[in-house]
Amino acid sequence: MFANFDFDVIIRSLPYLFYDGMTFTLMLTAMATVGGIIVGTLLALMRLSSMRLISLPAAGYVNLMRSVPLVLMIFWFYFLVPFIGQWITGAARPIQVGAFMSSLVTFTLFEAAYYCEIMRAGIQSIPRGQMAAAQALGMTYAQTMGYVVLPQAFRNMLPVLLTQTIILFQDTSLVYVLSITDFLGAASKVAQRDGRLVEMYLFAAVVYFIISFVASQLVRRLQSRIAIVR
Amino acid sequence: MNYNWNWSIFFETSPDGVHTYLETLLLGTGWTLMTALAAWCLALLLGSLVGVVRTMPYPWPVRLGQAYVELFRNIPLLVQMFLWYFVLPELLPAAAGDWLKQLPDASFYTAVVALGFYTSARVAEQVRAGILSLARGQRFAALALGLTLPQAYLYVLLPMAYRIILPPLTSEFLNVIKNSAVALTIGLMELTARARAMQEMSFQVFEAFTAATVIYILINIAVTFAMRWVERRAAVPGLIGAAAPAATH
Amino acid sequence: MITLSQVSKWYQDFQVLKDCSTEVAKGEVVVVCGPSGSGKSTLIKCVNGLEPFQKGEIKVAGIPVGDRKTDLPKLRARIGMVFQHFELFPHLSVMRNLVLAQIKVLGRGKEESVERGMRLLERVGLREQADKFPGQLSGGQQQRVAIARALAMDPIAMLFDEPTSALDPEMINEVLDVMVALAKDGMTMMVVTHEMGFARKVAHRVVFMDRGEIVEDAATADFFTQPRSDRAQIFLSKILQH
Repeated sequence: MFANFDFDVIIRSLPYLFYDGMTFTLMLTAMATVGGIIVGTLLALMRLSSMRLISLPAAGYVNLMRSVPLVLMIFWFYFLVPFIGQWITGAARPIQVGAFMSSLVTFTLFEAAYYCEIMRAGIQSIPRGQMAAAQALGMTYAQTMGYVVLPQAFRNMLPVLLTQTIILFQDTSLVYVLSITDFLGAASKVAQRDGRLVEMYLFAAVVYFIISFVASQLVRRLQSRIAIVR
Repeated sequence: MNYNWNWSIFFETSPDGVHTYLETLLLGTGWTLMTALAAWCLALLLGSLVGVVRTMPYPWPVRLGQAYVELFRNIPLLVQMFLWYFVLPELLPAAAGDWLKQLPDASFYTAVVALGFYTSARVAEQVRAGILSLARGQRFAALALGLTLPQAYLYVLLPMAYRIILPPLTSEFLNVIKNSAVALTIGLMELTARARAMQEMSFQVFEAFTAATVIYILINIAVTFAMRWVERRAAVPGLIGAAAPAATH
Repeated sequence: MITLSQVSKWYQDFQVLKDCSTEVAKGEVVVVCGPSGSGKSTLIKCVNGLEPFQKGEIKVAGIPVGDRKTDLPKLRARIGMVFQHFELFPHLSVMRNLVLAQIKVLGRGKEESVERGMRLLERVGLREQADKFPGQLSGGQQQRVAIARALAMDPIAMLFDEPTSALDPEMINEVLDVMVALAKDGMTMMVVTHEMGFARKVAHRVVFMDRGEIVEDAATADFFTQPRSDRAQIFLSKILQH
C-alpha cells in the first residue's frame, strides 16, 4: 500500500505549500477572526436592542447567514463584492477585487453571524445587576457596555470564540471552489501537477489535524485559567 | 449597475435540453436532501455508538472514542471528502480500488460516507454530553434493579439523553444539510452545484444564487418546524419542554 | 431632597406601585420596609430612573426623574446606589472599581481619583484590599467596597436596596456599622431593609409598603410603638420575633 509513497514530492513542495498556501490561510483566518468578532459584537448589540427597527434586521441577517452553506456564500460574495465596490465608489464598471479581498469579505461577514450568537450569549450571561450598578454610577450606555459588560462578556466567551476561530481556520479550505491558492489549494495544485494525490492530500490532512488539535488543546488549557471569580 | 436581470431564466431550458433551469435546481435539491438524510442516519448510528462508549466506565474504549472524535473534528470536511474520494481507492487493493472508481454515483456514496463520519464525531459529543447531564443516580438505579449495562443505556439513559439533546441535534441536522454543498467539489450535483452550473451557463448570476438561497432558507424553516413538533411529541410531562398543564388538587 | 408624588407603575397589566407619595428631606434617613412583593425594591429603583414609571412624579434636588429631557446619567452620578448583590465589577480590582466612574463620568484626574478612593477605603476599613479583586473578598467586604464606590462620586443622597439581605449573619454588622456612621455624618439616605435594629438606631422615618402601596409613613418611634394599620402590625410582629 505504501510501497510507492513519494515523500519527495511533499518535501519539494514544502516552500510552495507553506509560503504561498499556509500564509494565505493563516492571514485569512486571523483577519476574518478580528473582523468577524467586531462585526459580530455590533450585531449582538443590535439584536439585544429594544428598538425593533434595529434588532429585526440584525436577527434577519444572522438567521440568513446561518441557514445557507458557506460554499454558496463564497460564490455570492465573489460576484457581489465587485458590484458593491462599484456602487460605493461610484465607478463605471464593477471593481476588480482580488481573491484575498473577496475571501476576506466573505469570511468576515459570514462568521460574524456565528460570532454574534456567541457574544449575544456572553452579554446575556452577565447579571443584570452589573448594568444597573454601572448606570447607577452615572455611566452612559456606551460607557456601561465598553467598560463593564463587554469586557466581562468577551472574557467569559473567549474559549468559545477561539473554538469558532479554529472552525474558521478549517472553513478557509473551502476557497478551493474558486481555485484560490490557500494551503489546500496549493496541495491540490501540486497533487494534480505531479499526479500525487495520495501523498499531498494525506499530508494536507495531517497538517490541518496537527494545527487544529494543538490549537484546541491550548484553548482547553486557557479555559481553566481564565474564569473570572465572582 | 450593468447587470441584466432576467427572472424568467428559470423557465428557459437548460443546456441539457430536457429540464428548465428551475427543474435542474429542484433536482439538485433532491440530491441535497437525499445526501443529507443518508449521511444523518449514518451519523446518528455511529455517533450514538461512540458517544455511549465514551461514557462507559472502561478507560480504553473511552480513549479510543476520544481519538475517533478528535480525528474527525480536526480535519476540514473538504479534506476528509478528498481523502475518501481520491485517496481511499488508491490505498485499497487494486480490485477494490477499481470497483470504487467505477461506481456509478460514486460522488453520492462518497459524500454520504464522508459527511456521515464527519458529523458522527459531533453527534458523539452531543450524546456524551446528554448522558453525562443525567443525574448519576439514574445509572445506579437502573443497575440496582438488575438491568445489565446495555439494558440500562437502552431503557433508561438514552431515552432521556436524546430528549435533552434534541435542540443541539436539530442544529447538527441543519449543519448536515448545509455541509452537503461541500460535495460539489467531488462532483455531486446537489443544489449549490446546480446553481453554480446555472450561473456558468446562463450568466444570470444573482437569479441563480437567489433561488438557491431561498430554497435553503425554506428547507431550514421546514426542518426547524418539524423538529419542534418532534420535541413537543417527545416531551416528558413536567420535566422538559412543553408540559401538560399542572393538575390542581 | 427626594420627593415622590402619586407614583404608579405597571408591569404589563399588573400594577406594582399604586399612587406612592413620600419624601426624604436633606440629611434625613428613611427606611422602607414591607413583605416581599410589596414593591419596595421597585420603588427605590424608580428614584434614580433605573426602573421607569408610568404615572406620578419623582424629583431629586428639584430635577424631575421621569422627564424625557432630564440627563439621566448626569443625575445618577449625583445619587449613590448600593445593591443587594453588591455588583462590584469582578474583572476590575477594588481600586479600579472605585476609580472607574470618577474618571469616566466625573472627569476627575487619575491621581485625585485614587486619593479619594484610598480615603474612602480607609473610611470603610478596607485600606489593604485596594489591589485585590472582588472575587477574593468576603460578602461583607464587597458590600463595604460597594458603599465606598458609591461615595466616591460625592453623592447628594444614597439609595440602599436591601444591602444586607445577601450577607451571612456574621457579616451584617460590619456593613450596618458603615451605614450608621454615614447617617451620623448627615447623609440623606433611603434604605430598603429588614434590619429593624438599624431603623431604630438612625432612621428618622419609617415607610411601610404592602402590595404596591405605602401603607404607613411615620416617625420611627411612632412606627414601632403605635403602628396604625393592621398590616403593619402583623409585619412587625413577624419580624420582631427574632
